[in-house]
Amino acid sequence: MTAYIIRRLLYTIPIVFGVLLITFVLFNLVGGDVTDQIAGKAASKETREEIRQEYGWDKPLFLSWDSQFFNYLKNAVTFDFGRSWEDRELIIDKIKRGAGPSLSLTIPMFIGTVVISISLALIVAFLRGTIIDALAVLLCVAGMSIPFLSFILFGQYFLAFKWGLFPVFFRPDLSPPQYVALPVLIGIAAGLGGNLRFYRTVMLDEMRNDYVRTAFAKGLSTKRVLFKHVLKNSMIPIITQVVLAIPFLFLGSLLLERFFGIPGLGYLMIEAIGARDFQVINAMTYIGAILFVIFNLITDICYCLVDPRITLE
Amino acid sequence: MKFLTILFTTVLVIVAGCKGKASKSDSNEVVLHSALAAKVRGLDPGDIGDTTSSLVASQIFECLYQYHYLKRPYELVPQLAEDMPQVSEDGLTYTIKIKKGVYFADDQCFENGKGRELKATDFVFAWKRIANIKYISKNWWIFDNKIVGLDEFREYTKSCKKAADVDYSRKVEGLAASDDYTLIIKVKKPWPQITYLLAHLPTAPVAKEAVDYYGRDIINHPVGTGPFKLQKWHRGSYIELVKNRSFREEFYPSEGEDADRADGYLTDAGKRLPMIDRILMTIVQEDPPRWFLFMQGKIDASGIPKDNFNEAIDQRGKLTAQMQKRNIHLRIFRDPSTYWLGFNMEDKTLCGNKPLRQAINCAVDKEKYIKLFTNNRGEVAYGFIPPLMKAYDSSIKDKVKTTYNPDKARQLIKEAENIYGGKLPKLTLAMPGTDAVIRQRGEFLKRCFKTVGLNVEIDYMDWPTFQNKIKTKSVQMFMLGWIADYPDAENFLQLFYSKNASPGPNNFNYSNPDFDRIYEQIAVMPDSPERTKLYRKAERIVIEDCPAVFLMHGVAYVLYHDWLYNYKPHAFGYGLSKYRRIDTAKRADYKKLLKTGE
Repeated sequence: MTAYIIRRLLYTIPIVFGVLLITFVLFNLVGGDVTDQIAGKAASKETREEIRQEYGWDKPLFLSWDSQFFNYLKNAVTFDFGRSWEDRELIIDKIKRGAGPSLSLTIPMFIGTVVISISLALIVAFLRGTIIDALAVLLCVAGMSIPFLSFILFGQYFLAFKWGLFPVFFRPDLSPPQYVALPVLIGIAAGLGGNLRFYRTVMLDEMRNDYVRTAFAKGLSTKRVLFKHVLKNSMIPIITQVVLAIPFLFLGSLLLERFFGIPGLGYLMIEAIGARDFQVINAMTYIGAILFVIFNLITDICYCLVDPRITLE
Repeated sequence: MKFLTILFTTVLVIVAGCKGKASKSDSNEVVLHSALAAKVRGLDPGDIGDTTSSLVASQIFECLYQYHYLKRPYELVPQLAEDMPQVSEDGLTYTIKIKKGVYFADDQCFENGKGRELKATDFVFAWKRIANIKYISKNWWIFDNKIVGLDEFREYTKSCKKAADVDYSRKVEGLAASDDYTLIIKVKKPWPQITYLLAHLPTAPVAKEAVDYYGRDIINHPVGTGPFKLQKWHRGSYIELVKNRSFREEFYPSEGEDADRADGYLTDAGKRLPMIDRILMTIVQEDPPRWFLFMQGKIDASGIPKDNFNEAIDQRGKLTAQMQKRNIHLRIFRDPSTYWLGFNMEDKTLCGNKPLRQAINCAVDKEKYIKLFTNNRGEVAYGFIPPLMKAYDSSIKDKVKTTYNPDKARQLIKEAENIYGGKLPKLTLAMPGTDAVIRQRGEFLKRCFKTVGLNVEIDYMDWPTFQNKIKTKSVQMFMLGWIADYPDAENFLQLFYSKNASPGPNNFNYSNPDFDRIYEQIAVMPDSPERTKLYRKAERIVIEDCPAVFLMHGVAYVLYHDWLYNYKPHAFGYGLSKYRRIDTAKRADYKKLLKTGE
């Protein structure tokens, strides 16, 4: 297993390099020039030249030790992302500051969605063919069809503004559990439809197996069959779904953060995309790629742990 | 289960670790709550180029002059200057006395953390800093080719490797401090707008100690002489300012417009400023939460989002009964703005074809546009000088030949086709955005053009691409506007001066020697009836040449709660929080009113 892990970690290098190369090429092909935005109104030609020099945009793109791409690689490897051109703040400071609020929103949302949807999926799968099952599927499809923004607007209007159950927006005098409660609830509600439907399908596939009928025939309790056998045997697709979703938690939730004023990384990313702040986009993509590769490896290791038939070679 | 326990513990640790609390405040403190609609980019006045950052920084920094809070038309009064400038007979030398006893706010950049007294050299330093090309200020346009020796100083900075290498003690002939309290400015040619620009935030004095101490992080550490100082800035979230205890004695004005006494704007005449202890500015970029916060009384004043307009304003243009019941007040005021569809006058199809440009003008139903997209919060524009300006010609409507008239547009298209030599090609209108509202506007304009037989493609693009295309003259038509920096129509006229063509502010790439001649004449003329006549003449030349469809001038509607006093709208309103007063008892009453379900 150790050799496998080392090999997989080494694979990280070309993968991350590829991500950096594609991001760089795409941005330079379609990203446009942001010099005028930095320069402000009525800027002279010389000011624009100075900006290009300051940010290294006057250098060749490739094929030089001092090219833009090489410097970009060097900065990525050393995690020195420089300063955002938009507000001249250190990018690493932005990321450090945004990670906490983002994770305080996405982790409870993620755990809540996974726990509730798996639990409900087990029940619904057990009650397959009944009115409850049909109703659950109907609600899942409805939930999946409603845009995420509608969940936000509905929750913010009724639960916060009209009924006053939660604060409408972030306020500095609120504690994090207070201001993330409603967005977390909305996130769980919005994510439940798709997740529940997926896990229900996984559970149903498992419930149809002979061993489940055998277990019931042997007189095992429903709880024991569902949690000890069905859930355990459904772990491979669940692990794939759950572990690979973890790196995205780092990216935060773009809409929830913006509508509830949570200064996280989702907010940062959307601002950066809007402003073409390549340095910030690059940093976030780079970190996201590394996390994704690592969690991919963790997924493989988890397969091995939950299914003894799988070995890592 | 172990896995879940670990996960939950992690969540709790993270949540507990996210300390976002503002500084603890005394319950008797009077706090102004406001919302900012965009993020604050930085609080270094020399490099500020956006409205939101200016709104915040102007509470911390001050300039030599400021606009009288109450008087209209807008009038400059001294702020850090002792008096209005003494101007030499040739109009080339300005001598300005600085107030004594003005101190920078206490900050660790100063010796023992105690703010030192403001000196004339602080202005000299701040302006040389803007000239320093390595600093890459957005505000060099203010001084470009204006002050004797400053352009040479900028040339010298090009030879320096980085901003910190620049020797600020290097002499600039036109910028001198003859003593600690006297500033002498020598300009290359008469510059009548200089006093307006000396009231513009980027010209605020900056302490060299702060620049040296904080380096590039000066954007996070504003050290000014103003009534407030930065307490906490949680980027992307909120900003907290507190009263600057070392702020000098400044008093609420005792004079204003005729109606100001009746409107209660003079109740606090002569009171010491500021009248509030803290300002909490929350960044709320989306309209729905901002509106909810206002209606809950969590913020003291707000604009009216388009989707909530009918909830706030009735058919007569007055406050609805619900708003009145909540004791919410409305103020309507004119913006110094003009919005247009500009033509690139270097475009082959448009440049030599005036009937085509006129046809486009006649095709756009401006009244409907204003009604549809602004809830009638705008005035139809016939020229580019907004009604707020003294030079505005109230009879301009009668002088313009290209008002909305689809039949006339069709006739003009025939003439345009004759000039073009056949059927007109597809035209392209560049739109500055890709969101739903911009697309709605684009669709509306497309329909206007289609009605008269013009084939116009609407090209939606993000702001950086749009700006880049404009600066490189690669658009045909574009939607844009201008909000005046100061109450002088010259600020609009410069947009049509041929020497300011793209990448300069003349995005139309308009060129007319007659206009240029008048512009050069008025640019050095002091305010006079003769100059106003020339402004109007220049505007008529532009209208006649038709380099744009002038769409509308903005009208702003603001709502505020009854506990907020001295909320008089101001078109050049920066640094106005010092005038506000808050009745905390009334604010508490509002909470009770909400509980009753009203």
